[in-house]
Amino acid sequence: MEEQWGWLIVIYLFLGGLGAGAYLTSFAASKGYLGNAPALKRIGYLVAAPIVAIGTALLVFDLGQGLKKPWLLIGLLANPKSVMTWGVYILSGFIAVGLVVAFLAWKKKEIPNFLASIGALLAISTGAYTGLLISVIKEVPIWNTFLMPVLFVISALSTGLSLTVLLGHLLEKGAEGNEKFVCKVHVFLVLAEIAVLAAFLGLMISGANGPVAVESAKMIVSGSLALPFWAILVVAGLAFPLVAQVLRITQLSKAHVLVTTAAYTEQAATGHARSASVSVLAGDVCLVVGGLVLRYVVILAAIPIWNGALG
Amino acid sequence: MAKYKVKTLSRRSVIKLGVVATALVALGLPIIKSRPVMAESASDAGTKQLGFMYDQSKCINCHACARACKNTNKWEKGVEWRKVLVKETPEEELFLSMSCNHCADPSCVKVCPVGAYQKRAKDGIVVHDSKKCVGCGYCLYACPYHAPMLGQETGAVSKCSFCYERQDNGQKPACTSACPVNALTYGDMDELSKTQGATSQIMNLPSSNLTKPSYVFIPKA
Repeated sequence: MEEQWGWLIVIYLFLGGLGAGAYLTSFAASKGYLGNAPALKRIGYLVAAPIVAIGTALLVFDLGQGLKKPWLLIGLLANPKSVMTWGVYILSGFIAVGLVVAFLAWKKKEIPNFLASIGALLAISTGAYTGLLISVIKEVPIWNTFLMPVLFVISALSTGLSLTVLLGHLLEKGAEGNEKFVCKVHVFLVLAEIAVLAAFLGLMISGANGPVAVESAKMIVSGSLALPFWAILVVAGLAFPLVAQVLRITQLSKAHVLVTTAAYTEQAATGHARSASVSVLAGDVCLVVGGLVLRYVVILAAIPIWNGALG
Repeated sequence: MAKYKVKTLSRRSVIKLGVVATALVALGLPIIKSRPVMAESASDAGTKQLGFMYDQSKCINCHACARACKNTNKWEKGVEWRKVLVKETPEEELFLSMSCNHCADPSCVKVCPVGAYQKRAKDGIVVHDSKKCVGCGYCLYACPYHAPMLGQETGAVSKCSFCYERQDNGQKPACTSACPVNALTYGDMDELSKTQGATSQIMNLPSSNLTKPSYVFIPKA
């Protein structure tokens, strides 16, 4: 079988997660789960729905009939048994609610609690859907695990947080708030993603999902997908941001101690702190790119349970 | 001051435009009304299920089945509804004529978001309606037998229909009619599976537990 799904699907799954994660970052920040983080309260809300909408629009181009007979897309709501149909409902709901929330956030109006919560529920569903879509396909063994939606949700949260931190830094500089706390949350997310990714690949290589899953997993860790997997996802997209965040946390703790002991002038401390955060921001950029490569690697590693030949 | 004002206004209007544009994309989807889903599922016990039976030792690899299918069903370019697979070993050649297996538990029916696949209650034939197909490719991943194929010209999937139109008119499927040696036949699965030497496991193909294919295989002894 030729590879059916390519870059457009990869980007669609990635943007679905990224938008959902950005929304949840702002949701968590406004609930106070990210400590004092004023810059994170609005920006995630502003970008979430547009990002998911762009991803959905891309998907239309990937459909065989997207440009030929677009009216057929009405039918996408027809099969309640199809996970893809669930996705159309979830994504439409998220985009609709997300746009209202984005408008309110843009106008700096108060976002009703129930609306923000419905949006958060739809955001989690969006992130989970991107993994569930492929995890229900028994005929592609490497996809067929409950770890798939778990992995994609964690990656969604992590990339969404990175994007929101980056945009917060660019657009609302000085309102970062308790950066150390945000870094700690992010370290936790990255560690969780590494753990689930390792569990996922370990499960596949163990042979628990059959010989074809082993073949797919080997393609990722030592085959044709090894370079993007190790270089972009693991080293640049997970290890580097992790180290940058951990160093930043220790640096901020030290700076705090120095300031309080008055051995450091406040100016020196903030100057020191500001220059060092460049590595965190660079880590955030790499983490987002790594999120894209995660979807790429997973989609491209799809080997069907039967290769179509007589063995 | 004036300069500043112009700058913020233009940035705001650009973002507003973006929000409006995405809103239009987003609102396009929920406006759409859901269609009633036709009854399917004939996998309940006791329902009739038609299937193919293939006697490997009789097959002479003449491809009459595939040719008859192509002529009758006018395959789209690049698409094959039926093919004869060959395995060459030093001792012998083994053949396998294969199309859609009209599975008792078809995964295509489950995954298709537009409901283009319908399993007929009266005979278990899995019919795909290319007119509904949006070409998402989900079924190409879901089918373990690679039966559905996406045509590049139409951008839609098509697959073996078990010649249900011919069958509804009292005719036999084109492939089985064309087989000169009766290697490929068809019938009620309950009857076919009683055949001497028959098995549900087809060579190195995926386990029949996955989708319960309506294909009775008689391996070359």
